[in-house]
Order: sequence, then C-alpha cells, then structure tokens
Amino acid sequence: MTTNYENIAEAVRTGEEDVVQKLVHQALDRGDSPQAILDEALISAMDEVGQLFEQEEIFLPELLVAANAMKAGVEILKPLLGEDAIKSYGTVIIGTVQGDLHDIGKSLVSMMLERGGFKIIDLGTDVSPENFIQSLKDNPETKVLGMSALLTTTMPEMKTTIEALEKAGLRDKVKVIIGGAPVTNAFAQEIAADAYAPDAVAAKNIVRQLVGEED
Amino acid sequence: MKKTVRCNRYRPFNDEQAKMVHETVLRVLGEIGIEVNEEEALELFQKAGAKVDADKSIARFDSELVMKLINQAPSNVTLWGREEKHKIVLGEDRVCIGTGGTAIRVVDLDTGETRASEIRDLHDMARLCHHLDNLHLYMLPLYPNDIPKENVDLNRFFSGIVNTTKHVMGGVYTVEGVRDVFEMCSLIAGSPDEFRKRPFISMITCVISPLKMDSHYTKLMIEAAKHGIPVVCPAEPLCGATSPITLAANVVHQVTESLAGVMLTQIVNPGTPVILGTVSSTTDFRDMRYICGGVEMGMISAAEAQMAQFYGLPFYAVGGMSDSKVVDAQAGYESAMTTLLNVLAGANFVHDAIGLFDFALTMSYEKCIMDNEISGMAMRAAEGIRVDEETLAFDVIKEVGPGGSFISHKHTARNMRKEHFLPKLSDRNIREKWAAQGGKDAARRAHDLAKKILDRPPEPQLPAEKLSAVTDRFPQIVYPAK
Ligand code: B1M
Repeated sequence: MTTNYENIAEAVRTGEEDVVQKLVHQALDRGDSPQAILDEALISAMDEVGQLFEQEEIFLPELLVAANAMKAGVEILKPLLGEDAIKSYGTVIIGTVQGDLHDIGKSLVSMMLERGGFKIIDLGTDVSPENFIQSLKDNPETKVLGMSALLTTTMPEMKTTIEALEKAGLRDKVKVIIGGAPVTNAFAQEIAADAYAPDAVAAKNIVRQLVGEED
Repeated sequence: MKKTVRCNRYRPFNDEQAKMVHETVLRVLGEIGIEVNEEEALELFQKAGAKVDADKSIARFDSELVMKLINQAPSNVTLWGREEKHKIVLGEDRVCIGTGGTAIRVVDLDTGETRASEIRDLHDMARLCHHLDNLHLYMLPLYPNDIPKENVDLNRFFSGIVNTTKHVMGGVYTVEGVRDVFEMCSLIAGSPDEFRKRPFISMITCVISPLKMDSHYTKLMIEAAKHGIPVVCPAEPLCGATSPITLAANVVHQVTESLAGVMLTQIVNPGTPVILGTVSSTTDFRDMRYICGGVEMGMISAAEAQMAQFYGLPFYAVGGMSDSKVVDAQAGYESAMTTLLNVLAGANFVHDAIGLFDFALTMSYEKCIMDNEISGMAMRAAEGIRVDEETLAFDVIKEVGPGGSFISHKHTARNMRKEHFLPKLSDRNIREKWAAQGGKDAARRAHDLAKKILDRPPEPQLPAEKLSAVTDRFPQIVYPAK
C-alpha cells in the first residue's frame, strides 16, 4: 500500500496528471478508502511540495503543476467523498481595477487562492467599480474582494471601488484585499482596505486570515 | 557626442534558425491570429484582407498580406532632435542608447532615500541626461506622482522638451493628453505642419502578450499613425508568464505581436514611420515576478534585433537594467551585460538602458552616470576595430623599430582619442591618489558627477518667447518645478 502512495506522491510532485488519476483508480479498485487516498497520498504529497517550495528547492511553476496533478486526483475522489469533505474556505471575487490591463500578478493570486481552497470569481482586467459591485450582488456568499493595480494612475480606482462599496451598503459584507507592484501597506491603510499582500503566497495566507481560517 | 554606429557582430540565430523563427511567426499570425479588441482596427484588418472571426474578435493574416504590409513600412525612421546634432536615424544595423520608463520611484540625490517620483525629478532627469554624451535619445523615465492624471502627459513631455534638445520619446496616458502634447509641440515648431515635418517627439503604445490588442492602446496607435508621428508598437512577452518559458518562443511572441501593430499602422497610413519594439523579459521562478537584469533579456532583445533586420524594420530594443536596489556591483554587471549584447547585435535603440533598476520601478541619478559610461564602452565595442593603413601602422612600427617607444609619436597623439574610449566615471588613479581623493567607490563618484551637473542653474532649452507661449497657453504646466 505504501508503495502505491509513494507512486502517487511522486506523480503529484512531477505533475503527471494522467499517472495520478491512474494510480488513484487502482487504489480505489483495490479497496482503499477515498479519505485515506486523499489524506495520505494527495494532501501529504502536496504538503511536501509546499515545503520544498518554501525552501526554494522547487519553483512556482513546478508547484502549480503539482497542484494541478493533485487536483486531477481529487476530481476522482470528490463524488465519493461528498462535497463537504473537501474544504472550501469561501468565495473570493478578484479583478484588476478599471483602466489597468496588467493581469499576470492578479491571475497568479487567483491561482494560488484557488489551489488554497477558495472558490474564485475572476473578473479579469479593467474592472469598473460597478462591475465589482454587480458581481458581489450576484454572488452574495462572497467573503473577500481582491483588487490588483500595477499603475500609479489606476491605484486611485481601488479607493473609488471601496467608496462605491460603502455607498452600495456592501462594505461590511466583504473584506477587501489589494496588491500589485506599486501598492503598499500604507496605501492599503490610507484607503481603508482590510489587507495588503506583497505576493501571491502571502495573499493566500492573508485571505485565509481574513476569513478566519488561519493554518 | 558619438553619432549612431553600425554593428552586427552578435547574431544569436544562424540563417536557418532565423528562418524557422520567421516561419513560426507566420504560422501564429495565420493559424492562431491576434485578438483585436478594437472595432475600427478589426474592420481595417478585414478590409486589408485579413480573415476575421467577428465572434471572437480574432484576425488571421496570410503570409502574403504580412509581407506586403511589412514592406510598406519604412526601413529607417528619423527621430529628430531640436538640434541637428541630435538627429537619430533608426534602422538597419545602426545603434544608439537611451533612457526608458516609466519608473514610479526615484533615489533622491540629496538624501539617498527612495521615494515617489515627482515632476521636479523629471526636470532634473532631463537636465542630467542632456549632458550625458553617450545617451542619444531621451525617453521620459518617470511618472510624476504629484501631478493630476489629466495633466500628466503635458507635464511629462514639457519637462523633456524644456530641458533637452535631444529627441523626446514617451508613453502616453490619456487621449486628451496626446492632443495637448501635439498642440504644445506645434506651438514650439511654429505650426502643426512644421512639427510633422520634423517631429522631435515620438510615442509608445503597446500590444499585449499573448496575442492581444487592447482597445485603448490600439486607438492611440491609430491616432499616432494618422498624424504620421513616429510610433513604437512594443510587446512585452515574459518567459513563463505571457509566453512559453523558452527563449525562442518568447522571440516568436514578441515579433508576432509587434508586427501586428506595425501592420495596423501601415493600413491606417501606408508608409507611416513605425518601430518594431520589445520590452520582453524573464521572470523570477520563485514568484514569477518580472525581472529585468537577467542575461536572457539581452539575448532575446538581440535576437529580436536580428529579426527586425531580417524584416527591414527599425527596432526599439530593451536592456541595460538591473534588479539591484542600489548602485552596486550587481547594478553594474547586469546593466553592462544586456546593453552590450544589444549593441553588438545592432539593436537600433536600446531603451531602458540609462538609470533604471529595481524591476524597472526606480530611477537613480547615480545609475544614469554609471550607465552613460557603460553605454560609451558598449558603443566603442560596437564600432569595432578599424583596419586600414593608418591603423595597421606598418610605417610607424618600422620607424620606431625594436626596443623603441610610441609615446611621443605623432601617430599616437593623432589616433588616441579616436581609438580609445575615455571614461568619466572609472577610477584609473594610483592607489595613493585615489585614497587622497577620498577613496570613493564608483557609486560615490557617480553621485558627485551627477551633483556637479545638477547643481548648475537650470538652462531652459527653449527660447524665452516659446517658453512663455507654451506656459501661457497651458497654465497647468508646472514650471519651474521645485
Ligand atoms: C487582491 O490581492 C492582491 C494581492 C497581491 C497581489 C495582487 C492582488 N496583485 C498583484 N499582487 C502581488 O502578487 C503578485 C505575484 O507575487 C505580484 O504581482 P505583480 O503584478 O507585481 O507581478 C507579476 C507576477 C509580474 N509582473 C508584471 O506582470 C508586471 C511587470 C511590468 C514590467 C509590466 C508589464 C509586464 C506590462 N505592462 Co506595464 N508593466 C510594468 C511592470 C513593472 C514591474 N516591475 O512591475 C509597469 C507597471 N507598467 C508600466 C507602464 C508605464 C505601462 N504598462 C503597460 C503595459 C504593460 C504590458 C501590457 C506590456 C505588460 C502587462 C501584461 C499583462 N498581461 O499583465 C502600459 C499600461 C497598460 C494599462 N493600461 O494597464 C504602460 C502605460 C506602458 C505603455 N506602453 O503604454 C510602469 C508603471 C508606470 C506607472 N505610472 O505606474 C511599470 C512599472 C513598468 C515601467 N517601468 O515602465 C504582486 O504585486
């Protein structure tokens, strides 16, 4: 049994989705419990990958490829475990603010949050305050609103959006996190955002704190 | 100041490889296409013969159309200065170097503190760069954080024009701003027609990797092309983020995307001056952050320069930056590496190569001085070794003979300045003298040199009547900027 899990772990580490799926099926056919496969094979492999990433032994693309492979395995287990077994920390709406087309950082934050257990609604770039608000109304379960800006000319849009949230009576419903290369913690405080994150990994941890689900 | 020099000694691709890149570019344009999020542009492409998928806003181009439009574009583009000596012709394998942008922070020359850049810094940068001999083209390097957005374009271009007679290139932020800048330049030139004849400014738009043209920037591109103002259409594929991780594919992206911009300008206004451009770079694999000091940036840009020469298009290259936060050894070696690779490849205009570091977010006066020195050395390398009767100097060798000395020979005095680059920053003193002068490192000496230039009172580079005509017409211009 352990050898099989070692195989799965290896396939997660190297990001081989097909192999992970094949091995998960084999383990199920053999009669292993889905919960055991999830915890002892997939999650533990991913924890290990996460540690390697923190030690800078592996890099972000390798981490993401591994996360995809794990996800491929989880997809098979999901119907067997029931939705509840896979923890979701809640919904996050995210977008790059109006007038701004930079999306590499924003998409990376989305990806990290999704891998970190959040449901993501990514509104893309050039998102107006109205669009953020509409999306919040359409998805009332949303816990966090994330905004990214890379230009000093578009940073003020973050403030405008927060003000629009207030006007719409929605400010208390969500936590607001902001980021992007020119954005600072001081700016976040100035515009009364709830949090700022310097990078995508920090964003995931901070958003977990915001929703009261610290690791 | 050195005129542009010619060089094409570094060829990252052999002919076969360049052809493979070209064929892949054509396949991407023909099979995958470009997403064009601007109605007018999509219609223009369709009328010109591109296959348009209106639902997905995708335009696809067959190779004949691509080559026809590329061939319409001029191979050389003149960027005028307001003095004849600053005229630059971009194209073929000519090389020149300048600033880039747009940084949002500056290292304060007096306090050493890194802070948000202001309009006064733009004026100081232009004043400094006016005096740097190895800086040929001035790009507006900073964003003025103390100016309201609607007045930014005008104030930025004014800060350049009033402090230097070198050509001023810059990114633009609003359509109204572009109009104001045109009007200001026409006032200075005498009339809009005079200005169009010798545009002493040019503009930068952008195509978005991977394979996208955005509405706003495409509008600006069309606007500039209509006016016949030289326009750069750079793309900025980043390895592993907005292009495949491999360098060859990054080059394919940059060429494909920038060519889409070039093609559009040629449909709008056949023959309008347009410049193929790159801001391509790599990423830090730990967090995929943009980095600008990797040697690969220089290699990619050089390879793209080679492709630009293949297409016969002028080229806006990228290099000479560093990810260091201070003017230290890293700032020096990273900047030198990518500047040199570009220059040796005949990359026409190496932008970003003066003063910029810290992920292209910060400008430093001291680094301007250091990069000016790097630029001078790189340009010297590009000039190559002249081989003729005078330089081989057989007669001189014979005359001096075994055991003699060349120190006092006329040939030495006659050729020394021509053949050797004279540094302004490098220390070549004996240890005792260096110690006696304070034992300063390069960063400290660069600081002193920058200070010496900037401590002089500003000398406006516009005649008094033009200056007051401009400031009267546009009271939103902050001048003098303190
Ligand atoms: C919700 O919570 C969070 C939490 C954390 C968050 C977060 C949200 N969002 C980000 N984070 C954080 O986590 C991420 C991952 O760790 C990090 O995200 P980042 O986005 O910082 O990092 C990414 C992973 C990689 N980094 C990037 O993607 C940005 C890199 C730089 C070089 C950059 C790029 C690539 C581009 N650009 Co732009 N560009 C620059 C950038 C310089 C820089 N050093 O940032 C900057 C921001 N650009 C600038 C400029 C001038 C421009 N750009 C423009 C265009 C572009 C491209 C399209 C070519 C391209 C973007 C491609 C894309 N698909 O996104 C234009 C504007 C377009 C527009 N309206 O938005 C244009 C105006 C240039 C032009 N030609 O006209 C400068 C800003 C000037 C200013 N006034 O602010 C600039 C500093 C570069 C420079 N020195 O010129 C963190 O910040």
